[in-house]
Amino acid sequence: MLKGEQIHFTYGAGTANEKHVLRNISFQIKEGDFIGLIGASGSGKTTLVKHMNGLLRATEGGLYFRKENVYGRKYPLSKLRKEVGLVFQYPEQQLFEKTVLKDVMYGPCNLGMTREEAEASAKESLCQVGIDGSYYHVSPLELSGGQKRSVAIAGVLAMNPSILILDEPAAGLDPYTKRQVFDLILNIQKRRNLAVVLVSHHMEDVAAYTNKVWVMHKGELVLQGNPMEVFSQTKRLKELNIGVPQITSVTEKLIEQGIHLERAAISVDDAEKMILQMWKRRIAR
Amino acid sequence: MIRDITIGQYYASESVVHRLDPRTKLFGVLVYIVILFCIRNPWWYLACFLLLLGAYRCAKVPFSYVLRGIRGISILLIFTFVFRMLCTPGEEIWKFYFLSVTWEGIQKAIRMTARIALMIVGASLLSYTTTPKSMADGLEKSLLFLEKVHVPIHDMSVIVMIAFRFIPIIIEELNTLMDAQAARGARFEEGNVFQKCRGVTTLLLPLFLSTVRRASDLAMAMEARGYTGERETSKMNPLVYSRCDRAAYLCIILVPVFYVVVEFVPKWIR
Repeated sequence: MLKGEQIHFTYGAGTANEKHVLRNISFQIKEGDFIGLIGASGSGKTTLVKHMNGLLRATEGGLYFRKENVYGRKYPLSKLRKEVGLVFQYPEQQLFEKTVLKDVMYGPCNLGMTREEAEASAKESLCQVGIDGSYYHVSPLELSGGQKRSVAIAGVLAMNPSILILDEPAAGLDPYTKRQVFDLILNIQKRRNLAVVLVSHHMEDVAAYTNKVWVMHKGELVLQGNPMEVFSQTKRLKELNIGVPQITSVTEKLIEQGIHLERAAISVDDAEKMILQMWKRRIAR
Repeated sequence: MIRDITIGQYYASESVVHRLDPRTKLFGVLVYIVILFCIRNPWWYLACFLLLLGAYRCAKVPFSYVLRGIRGISILLIFTFVFRMLCTPGEEIWKFYFLSVTWEGIQKAIRMTARIALMIVGASLLSYTTTPKSMADGLEKSLLFLEKVHVPIHDMSVIVMIAFRFIPIIIEELNTLMDAQAARGARFEEGNVFQKCRGVTTLLLPLFLSTVRRASDLAMAMEARGYTGERETSKMNPLVYSRCDRAAYLCIILVPVFYVVVEFVPKWIR
């Protein structure tokens, strides 16, 4: 759906404090993808994500949405912004309207939908993030942290994007709310058949929810693959200052100790399955 | 345009000007501004401009950085220019209904605009080369005598320091907000006046909220680290004048002397 080709991005090109933030990044997002974008702080994750909906323009390289050149002269950026929804870090800080419903309608109204369409879309999105009708006319400032975040996510969903990008959606939430937010994202992804890009520091979440992992290091996309492939390269990830899920290190240690698991696990369920299998094999012997 | 504001930022670099005592620099800027308001002859404006260029060279701040800052206040400059040009009585050059451009108006407009631009560029040199902390220290020490008449100089210097410190933070936050609202289809650069105003309201409320939140967090953090507003605190790096400062003071005093000599002495002799 969205394809980037050899994207370079440089801050302050031509001046003394020129800084290469992205180098030679090529990527492809397909329908139904759930991509985890990981990397140490300052590796360029947020910058890359801002390219995906045209907030930043690559200094070199090309970006294609459904085979159309986004950097072409006539391509309207508003179209890309509609198709690629971007939820920033701490999105609840951008809520500004008097009521929840109005805030969610802001995006669709900007896209030129009529009031009725915008309202319908807003209500549908709010329903999907679990905010019911009793909150429509409440000020967003009166909601709890998790609810605010859900409303902010609904504000982007209401624009009916086909790709949803979330920058650290769980930052600063307690474990329970975090889980809810992730389940909600997974739910919406399935229901709307969205492609999702999840920027996160938290390897457990990435391993549990995504089906592709991209690893960034100093502005380059150094690893791409499914979670199993990526997280099995423990050494490489450590070099890049990125951890692996806890359960991966644990199972790896077990293997080192001579316990015959097939491979390192990437989630607790995965580990459970393999340990049970191991016991079955032992009993069979 | 909002994104280009560089006024009030600190430009980290190693230079003589950066090392000067903040009091010296404050004094310099004060003298500079007084001179700017005294001079009328355009040649003196040019001289001031060259003086500034020299000072910026000494401070190792690239001049392009300064120009970017001017772009942020260009609206103010254009307003000044247009109003001065239209609202000064005198010899008419061009008339359109009640609007008239006069020769005196143009002269005055150029003078005023140059004065404001030079003043801002000069004053921003101070903030480029002085950290908010040392600026506040400098202000405090030079005005401390006012404490005797119960002016709360110490509190005021802390307030000034924090205000300066917050400028870049708020600008950064504004950028984030603009990105976030742009991602929801807001357009700040296009559309008519109403659409633009609407765009700004989507930024103001969140910005106010976060600023208030930040301020109360900061107050709490300061108190947690023992700040009580007591006056009798010792300084980690007390301000002491160095040889460079003495030389700078000499230069600063020589400038108005030079001006007075060149401008007034010939008249007196006559």
